[in-house]
Amino acid sequence: MRLIALLFLMPLPAMADVAKALDHHVLPATAQFSSASHALADLAARDCTAETLKPAYQDSFDAWLGLSHLAFGPLETDGRALTVEFWPDPRGLVARTVRGMASDADPIVDDPQEFPEVSIAGRGLMALEQLLYEPEIGDLARADYTCRYIRALTTDMAAIGDAIAEDWQQHAQLMQQAGQPGNNRYLSDKEPTQVLYTALLSSLEFDADQRLGRPMGSFDKPRPKMAEAWRSDRPMRNIALSLAATHELATTLAETEIPATEAAFATAMASAKAMDDPRLIGVEDPQERLKIEILQQQIRAIRSAVEAEIGGDLGLTAGFNSKDGD
Amino acid sequence: MKTTLTISALACAIAAPAMAGKPEVVSNYVAIAYAAYEDSLLKAQELKGAVDALLADPSADTLNAARQAWIAARVPYQQTEVYRFGNAIVDDWEGKVNAWPLDEGLIDYVDPAYGGASDANEYAALNVISHPEFTLSGTTVDASSITPALLSDTLHEADAIEANVATGYHAIEFLLWGQDLNGTDHGAGQRPWTDFAAGDDCTGGNCDRRGEYLQAATDLLISDLEWMTAQWAEGGEAMTTLTSDPDAGVIAMLTGMGSLSYGELAGERMKLGVMLNDPEEEHDCFSDNTHNSHYFDGLGIRNVYLGTYTRVDGSVVSGESLSSLVAAADADVDQALTAGLNNSVAQLGRIKTVAESGTSYDQMLARGNETGEALVMAAVDALVAQTQDIERAVNALGLQDIGFEGSDSLDSPDAVFQ
Repeated sequence: MRLIALLFLMPLPAMADVAKALDHHVLPATAQFSSASHALADLAARDCTAETLKPAYQDSFDAWLGLSHLAFGPLETDGRALTVEFWPDPRGLVARTVRGMASDADPIVDDPQEFPEVSIAGRGLMALEQLLYEPEIGDLARADYTCRYIRALTTDMAAIGDAIAEDWQQHAQLMQQAGQPGNNRYLSDKEPTQVLYTALLSSLEFDADQRLGRPMGSFDKPRPKMAEAWRSDRPMRNIALSLAATHELATTLAETEIPATEAAFATAMASAKAMDDPRLIGVEDPQERLKIEILQQQIRAIRSAVEAEIGGDLGLTAGFNSKDGD
Repeated sequence: MKTTLTISALACAIAAPAMAGKPEVVSNYVAIAYAAYEDSLLKAQELKGAVDALLADPSADTLNAARQAWIAARVPYQQTEVYRFGNAIVDDWEGKVNAWPLDEGLIDYVDPAYGGASDANEYAALNVISHPEFTLSGTTVDASSITPALLSDTLHEADAIEANVATGYHAIEFLLWGQDLNGTDHGAGQRPWTDFAAGDDCTGGNCDRRGEYLQAATDLLISDLEWMTAQWAEGGEAMTTLTSDPDAGVIAMLTGMGSLSYGELAGERMKLGVMLNDPEEEHDCFSDNTHNSHYFDGLGIRNVYLGTYTRVDGSVVSGESLSSLVAAADADVDQALTAGLNNSVAQLGRIKTVAESGTSYDQMLARGNETGEALVMAAVDALVAQTQDIERAVNALGLQDIGFEGSDSLDSPDAVFQ
């Protein structure tokens, strides 16, 4: 009794609200992606024409952006994140792989058990983008092959969506039982917080350096076709959705008020919204390019605010992230 | 009395390592770097000797000797890779010596299946060996003489494309082996020695220019390694930067270990290749030496933690270790991390053993090769797991309070993403 009283008297360290982040951010996002990817697969089973499937593809991509920043644990297992969206792709492997499958009429698309053996460059959203938005692909293959490929791909992606959602139920338990005996993944209360915090910072870094930085290239050599999913008009949309997702993570994770972080998010999100350039082709125009550079700086400013307000408050630093390589 | 004194002196001697602090640990880290870069330089000089012999007297034997010298040169160099992340001076430089993957058609002839210029790289099939003059980003380039300066200043990363790799180990590797056209079947590149032969024996065309390229690239590798070795010598920039701020030095050590383990080796170099089933994602794709490159990367990570490096002549550089520093702060973390490093080296060792028994790394990447995939993924999982223990070591040492985020690869990803 005395011991309990003593524990209550001890000053509480600033703790992140991992439970809230899980219940209000992570788990709903995994359910949403699972449901969107099933809707896409179900539709493809009935009608696999490109025009019918495009809206459902867009919905699935939207849902993916709700959780793609959680690049650890269930998304890392079996390379699921890389499979759902293989990007960046500087060597053009997606186009090459999808064309290869189509021109060979690779029969693996008829075997749902074997389809997951296909290179990740031939699976997931980016391969589907080629099949739906690249008219040449249709000419390479007989229409019925494209259809069978789309059905195999969307079924595979729905299965990945289910696996992510199921694994996350268990992973959420692990995070909430951090430090308990037998929990080898999270040895202390601080570790789940640090993992979510690392995901938050890494995602902001990815938005600024990859989603914006790749198409920006250099001033003399802008590379709009290096933008993410430009064929389906998604480069700007993905940035806006990624900011929305990281904003939600930041606000659910923080226990205290985070005014500087909120302000930084508001600024960048307003700029992203005002940008009338879905494909980021403005990187080639000096005036438009300036706006894109400003957005990039605003996203980097969010990172600094998060480090100061959330990281500083919780005594956290970013851990290593899976995109640390070159 | 005398006995007592001896005993207490001994006790002090034994106790001393535990008392050693960050400055000693960082000095040893610097000493290992110096030795490993110097070894890399020595082995590159031996490679040059073998290249000169090949060009003086082209034959199957001299080509094979040059290939063996290249493989030997990789052993110490790969053990330095752990120095790259966390040390901006290395990271800013390493693209000159170890950039990959490359669009090798920039350098020499390639198989028709390689294709030509691509959207991503207009110069993917430039073939400088067969073109004494060409246009690059609107400028005419005189390449009548293939010099180190032409490679480093004009061709390398031409048109700001990172796949335009004109210098370093992998450019040399391509010249010695040629393209590996076996896909995920067994076999490395099969460049015939006659690609370096004089007169009518010459195959592949422009044998003299090919030899010139090989020599220029090897000379450049040597001068780049000389420069880096000097940075780690007494008074060198890397040495003074680290020893003047031991806290930052310890951060650099852990950053290098974590970033190489996770994002680079486990992610970029291993997992991606398995998931793409793509032999071009192999680190040493022309020579099929990837198993060694990965293994010595892993060994280099462990060297930094245990504070020990075995030189190419068999002598040992050893001193105060990061392990002892972590153990003093949290023995459990040290034990877990040491076990994790031993496990990853063992898992990488299994890949090496299998490759040396005749199943090369690219075969392991083949679509449907579940055994190969399991072998590679076991090493990936070990590397990912040890990264979590590296993060715990950061926390155990209290480095988050002194600005772990200030480390180069974590804070300014521009320096890391090429």
